[in-house]
Amino acid sequence: MHERLSYYVKRDSALHRLNPLTKIILALSIVLVSIVSPWYWTAHILLLLVIVPLSFAGRVSREYFTSAIRLILPAAGFIFLMQAFFQPIGNTVIFKYLFLDVTQESLSFAFRISTRIAVMISAFTLFLLTTHPSELMSDLTRRGLPPQFAYVIISTLQILPQMQAKAQTIIAAQRSRGLDTESTFFKRAGSVVPLVGPLVFGSLVEVEERAIAIEARGFTSKSIKTSLHEIPDSLSDKIIRWVLILLVLLSIALKIWLS
Amino acid sequence: MAFINLQNVTYKYPLTKTPVLQNINLQVNEGEFIAVVGPNGAGKSTLCYTLAGFVPHFFKGEISGSVEVAGRESSKSTLDEWVRNVGLAFQNPFNQISGAKYTVFEEIAFGLENNGVPREEIKPRVEEALSLTDISDLADRSPYSLSGGQQQRVALTSILVMRPKLLVLDEPTSQMDPIGTREVFGVVRKMAEGGMTVVMVEHKMEWIAQFADRVIALQDGKILLEGKPNELLTSDLLSENGFGISRYTSTAREAKKQGLWKSEKLPVTLDEAAEGFKP
Ligand SMILES: Nc1ncnc2c1ncn2[C@@H]1O[C@H](COP(=O)(O)OP(=O)(O)OP(=O)(O)O)[C@@H](O)[C@H]1O
Ligand SMILES: [Mg+2]
Repeated sequence: MHERLSYYVKRDSALHRLNPLTKIILALSIVLVSIVSPWYWTAHILLLLVIVPLSFAGRVSREYFTSAIRLILPAAGFIFLMQAFFQPIGNTVIFKYLFLDVTQESLSFAFRISTRIAVMISAFTLFLLTTHPSELMSDLTRRGLPPQFAYVIISTLQILPQMQAKAQTIIAAQRSRGLDTESTFFKRAGSVVPLVGPLVFGSLVEVEERAIAIEARGFTSKSIKTSLHEIPDSLSDKIIRWVLILLVLLSIALKIWLS
Repeated sequence: MAFINLQNVTYKYPLTKTPVLQNINLQVNEGEFIAVVGPNGAGKSTLCYTLAGFVPHFFKGEISGSVEVAGRESSKSTLDEWVRNVGLAFQNPFNQISGAKYTVFEEIAFGLENNGVPREEIKPRVEEALSLTDISDLADRSPYSLSGGQQQRVALTSILVMRPKLLVLDEPTSQMDPIGTREVFGVVRKMAEGGMTVVMVEHKMEWIAQFADRVIALQDGKILLEGKPNELLTSDLLSENGFGISRYTSTAREAKKQGLWKSEKLPVTLDEAAEGFKP
């Protein structure tokens, strides 16, 4: 199994030193502003002049661009094509394929929506790349989020890649017993059934054991939790949070006022 | 008064028809190191869960009799009070990783954070525990990237760091090599010497014979035998009832039939066997 199972990259940067809550609010504000803002180019500007510079400020530009190519570009590209072809707006036809028209309007709409998608995924990618999962958990519980709730979020982020690895192992094991996972779709769909048992049932027993294990280490203890790492929360964090909230409110107000 | 006091404990899981533990009576003194042996399904893990409070606070079902540790009655405490005194590590190390931590160091600090130990204290305590089990070099690795044996050491360390009064270990060396196993027994012995009471489920008889104070043989939820390791582990009753016995014991037993083993007492460990075979 490989070493890096969570997305976090351990580095020292301005972004890493921000409080986790500040970073959540930052990511959410970027997403909200890109959606709410009435101006056409907002998302594009945010992507180029906020997200990309932030990835450098966080010293995670390489990791960010890798995930941009692997995840963000395909997702945004897919949304772009769907919208360009299926959005029934406008009549300046540029391109025709069978019964589908691509109009100037649908193209410009698709460009806007797909960029918003890119902004959304990018903002949370940056957040995950620069936020230590257990610092996030400690900080949120310190602010009153029930620890069980915080744990579900954090462990899901960590356990998903493991579930994937495990599914691969089960498939390999079943295949070595003659299970067909490579022929036609319907045959495969039928043969996937034997995988579900071990994956789900295995997980339930695991969940029970894991619950015992963390309980044995005082997870539901009534004492106020402490944390190994000092979690930064400076005055500038507070100022940044308020400024961001103000910006979001402003763009909402602008939207309402203009419509 | 005994540190652990089990009186007529009988327990049945919600789904089992017959009790998994039947009329268990057990007294253990503070600082004693008890090994529990028994075939699969004997109820060893269930006994561990009972001592650690998970029966009946986590697994429901029917329990009768009384479970007392350090003068407190399990049924009258809450689970989170109970686990402050009793640490539990079990067999599958993978499922004991919290899933919320990034490095081994943080993983071991998890229990201390939960119990509100001040930050200045956490670091030195984790460092001390890491060196105790000899895994300081793994501190910065991801717990998921470790081998099974290394993960078992991490699981044990995460419990030791909390300094429980009673340490309950359910097959903690199942994935370890002989060197690792020996080291774990050594660490556990040291903890017992320091006053920690230990109950450990194990199959490796030769190590039990060298390190444990007393052995409990469990079968079908009942205590079949109880006694000093050297007497109990060579008892004919054990092999007749399908318990694993040490290869040195079985070798010497064979040798005895052919008149090659002279002594009355059978060996459990390599040293005892070597001694007995000396001309
Ligand atoms: N959660 C559970 N619900 C119902 N029955 C259980 C549960 N856990 C264990 N049992 C049953 O209780 C009995 C004793 O199980 P236990 O796990 O305590 O045995 P063990 O001695 O630890 O065995 P092993 O050597 O395989 O670890 C078995 O018959 C088992 O099927
Ligand atoms: Mg067991």
